[in-house]
Parts: sequence; structure tokens; C-alpha cells
Amino acid sequence: MTDATHRPARNKIVVWDLPTRVFHWLLVSCFVLAWLTSEDNRFLHVHVFAGYLMLGLLVFRLAWGFAGPRYARFGDFVHGWDNVRDYLRSLLQGRPQPFVGHNPAGGWAIIGMLLMGFVVTLSGIVVLGMEEGHGPLRGWMSPASAGVFRELHETGAGLFLALVGLHLLGVVVGALAHRENLVLAMITGRKWVEDIDTGVRHHSLLGAALLGLASMAAADYFAGYWLHGEEQAYQPFEGRPLPQSDTWNTECGDCHLAYHPTLLPARSWNKLLEQQHDHFGEDLDLDPDTLAELRAFANRYAAESGIDEPAYKINRSIPRDQTPLRITDTPYWRHKHEDIDAAVWRNPKVAGKSDCAACHLDAEQGTFEDSDMRLP
Amino acid sequence: MTDILRMLALCLLLGPMLAQAAALDDLLQQYAAEAQRPFSAEAGKRMWTQTHPSPKGGPDRSCSLCHGEDLSRVGKHARTGKKIDPLAPSVNPERLTDAKHMRKWLKRNCKWVLGRECTAQEKGDFLSYIRSQ
Repeated sequence: MTDATHRPARNKIVVWDLPTRVFHWLLVSCFVLAWLTSEDNRFLHVHVFAGYLMLGLLVFRLAWGFAGPRYARFGDFVHGWDNVRDYLRSLLQGRPQPFVGHNPAGGWAIIGMLLMGFVVTLSGIVVLGMEEGHGPLRGWMSPASAGVFRELHETGAGLFLALVGLHLLGVVVGALAHRENLVLAMITGRKWVEDIDTGVRHHSLLGAALLGLASMAAADYFAGYWLHGEEQAYQPFEGRPLPQSDTWNTECGDCHLAYHPTLLPARSWNKLLEQQHDHFGEDLDLDPDTLAELRAFANRYAAESGIDEPAYKINRSIPRDQTPLRITDTPYWRHKHEDIDAAVWRNPKVAGKSDCAACHLDAEQGTFEDSDMRLP
Repeated sequence: MTDILRMLALCLLLGPMLAQAAALDDLLQQYAAEAQRPFSAEAGKRMWTQTHPSPKGGPDRSCSLCHGEDLSRVGKHARTGKKIDPLAPSVNPERLTDAKHMRKWLKRNCKWVLGRECTAQEKGDFLSYIRSQ
């Protein structure tokens, strides 16, 4: 330890190069954005963008941890247990050992967060592919096997959040113990050090390129909001087209939205068609040929087919001994609509609970993408 | 040679149009065989807005409840709120071109509005009224 009489010259040097700082604050943005959009399905596309950007940033940071300047390198801040123990002990004694870059405890928080970042983003891509039918893994496995990856995604996010908490605690404690503004240092890159160290280069060009690349990715991803026509609101996600039947679309669609067969199980469609002479009070009066065609189409692509997320989840939610005749009677539908304010249902633009298209932009196609919803 | 081609093109264009007009004429002829009087667009218009009590206690029913009084405008299904394309052939040329479609909806909608199937006379009057719009 130094004393007042032998204090070496205090230097202000660059510790955090620009790419590391850009990485840090972009990662913070992605993390916050992903948490804010994790509950409300309407923002799934924003959530997914935050995830993709985060994964890109993590890959960069992994490489920068080997190729970057001194304080960005894993070799600088990954310490053995002995060093961590010694550091924590010195901290408890109120005389923390000085480190120019990350201290040994903070270094492990960084490693933990990077690891959790990979777990969360990669499992997210798997869930996106299985449940939503989007991303590089779309159609790779059925929604039925998504459960374990969803668990991993959510648990990983929880652990990531806990590590962020530890990291922030470390910043507060470190700032108090070492008497330095660590947040400012992550913005300017500079720290006062009592060390004969010349610091690192800013690597400004690479930092600017990183920021530019992220901005371009965002502009490309969200360009649809500016580019789409006026006639219909922008649909960020377009579902894989479902099988269609002209007969189905005409016979059902003349009076109401031609609800796609994926939205009810086959036993429900069969019962509805059997009761065609009293279809919610109306006589459909279908001729035998038309009836047979409708029956075949409904049975082929009913909810049991599990060809998309609504099909799989609606079917899963209905007890085997029940045959709901309305989509709005299925447990999954009810669960997904229970938080909708009563005022929305009273809105004159909403003809009733059967009027899917009032909020779902892709109701006609039957894909019911999470991001394609707008409350009127 | 060009004359033959021109004639051929004319036939190709007119053929489907004539076939469509024929669908309505055929249907009217079939109904006429069972009707007592010549069909009247005026009678069809009168029946169009006539109301009939709903058996289920909803609003009184009429053709105009869903299709509106102005057939050139878009209608609205009384129960589901789904929009219904205009019935007037003057703005919607697809109307009155498909016999199966006409029979189906005359049957279903008469049953819904009147609580019974329409007579041949009534159907002919309705079709004549719609055709005139």
C-alpha cells in the first residue's frame, strides 16, 4: 500500500477501449429491451431483435476477449480462486487491492453474464423456431419439445438478471471502496490510476463500426414500419402460409371470419358440421358434397395437426372429454384474452369476441402471430 | 383473316358475360313457371324493408337489416358484423351470375327473415328488384 509521502504520479489513462464501451452499453440496451418486451406478446419482434443483437454482441466480445487490448482480454481479469479470495478479504478489511481493469470478483461476474447471455440467446432461438415457427430453426422440431428450452431461456434470464444485480452491487461497492466513478469510466473509457501505465488505444474505428453495424441492423429490422403501405398496419412477422380451401373460405367466410381449422380440434368441427341445421341459430343448409369437402378439410388441418402454435396450444388446453363449439370457449383462448380490458370489447370497432380481425392483423390467414396484434 | 380473329375475340369476351346473364334468366324462368303474376321489382322493393319479428327476441328482421336499404352500399351482418359486398350488379358485377349461389342465399335468408322459404313469386320479385339496382 502507498502512503501520502510516496504516492506515485496519478495518471489518467484509457482503460476501456471504444469497442468495449460500445459493447457494454449496447448490451445494457438489449438486456433492458428484452426484459421489457418479455411478457407482452405484441412486442415479440422487438424482443427477438434484442436477442439477435445481443448474440452478435456476445460473439464480438468473445473474440475481443482474446484479440482486444489489455484490459478487454479475459487473460487480464479471469483470476484463480486464491486471487478472488484475497481480493474479497482485502475489500472486507476496507483496504481493497487496486486493479486497473476488472477486479478478480468482478471478472467472474463478467464471465457469468457472458455465459448466461449465450444460454439465453441460443435457447431463445430454439424456442422461436419451435413455438413461433420463425428464425433459423423454424420447422426444426415441433412445438411440443419446446418446453425444456423455454425453461432454459427463462431460468437463464433470471440468472442473468441476478448476475447483473451482483455486477451493479460490485460497481457501487467498488466505487465507494476505490473512490472512483466507475460508471463515468465506462462512458469516457478513462480512469485515474496510481500506476505507471500508458493505457490502451481507443480503437475508435472499430468501436464506430460496431455502433454503425448495430444501427444498420436495427434500421433494417424495423424498416417495415416506415415502408409499409397505408391500407393495413404493418405486420412484423408473417406466419408460414396455412393450407387454404376455397370452399371453406366461401361457406364460412360469407357470414363471419373463416376461422381456420387449426383453431379447434376435429371433434369440435365434426360436431359443428353435424349440427349444420342449427348453426348458432341458423340453418346452413349445406348440400352433401359441400359438407363432405368441409369435413375433410377440417379433419385434415384441425388443431390436432399441431401445424402451428395456435393449433398446438389450443389442442393442448382442451380436456379430452370436452368438445367446445366456440374457439372462445377453449381454455387457451380464454387464458390469452383474460387480461384484455372490458373497454376494448365494448369498442364499436370490435364486433364481439368472435371478431378476431378487430385486433389480429393476420386473422384471415389464421396464423395469429404474436407481433401482429393491435388493440383498436 | 383479321375479321375472323376479331369475331373470335368478341365471342371469347361476350361468351362468359352472356352465360352469366343467362344464369339469372334461367332461374327467373324456372320461378316464373310457378308464379301467379309477372315479376315486379316494385314488389321486391316493398318486401325488402318489411320487418318481421325475430323468434329469438333480437331486433326485427328484414333484408335491409344486413344488406341495407341502398343496395349499392356495403352491408353488415347483423350478428357477426362482417361486411357484406354490395348486392347491386351496377356496382358489383359478380352479383346474380351464379345460380347455385342465388338459390342458396334466397333459401337461407328467406328462412332467417321470414321464418319460412319464399314462394317462387317472392324470389322472382326479389331478383327483379336486385337486378334493377
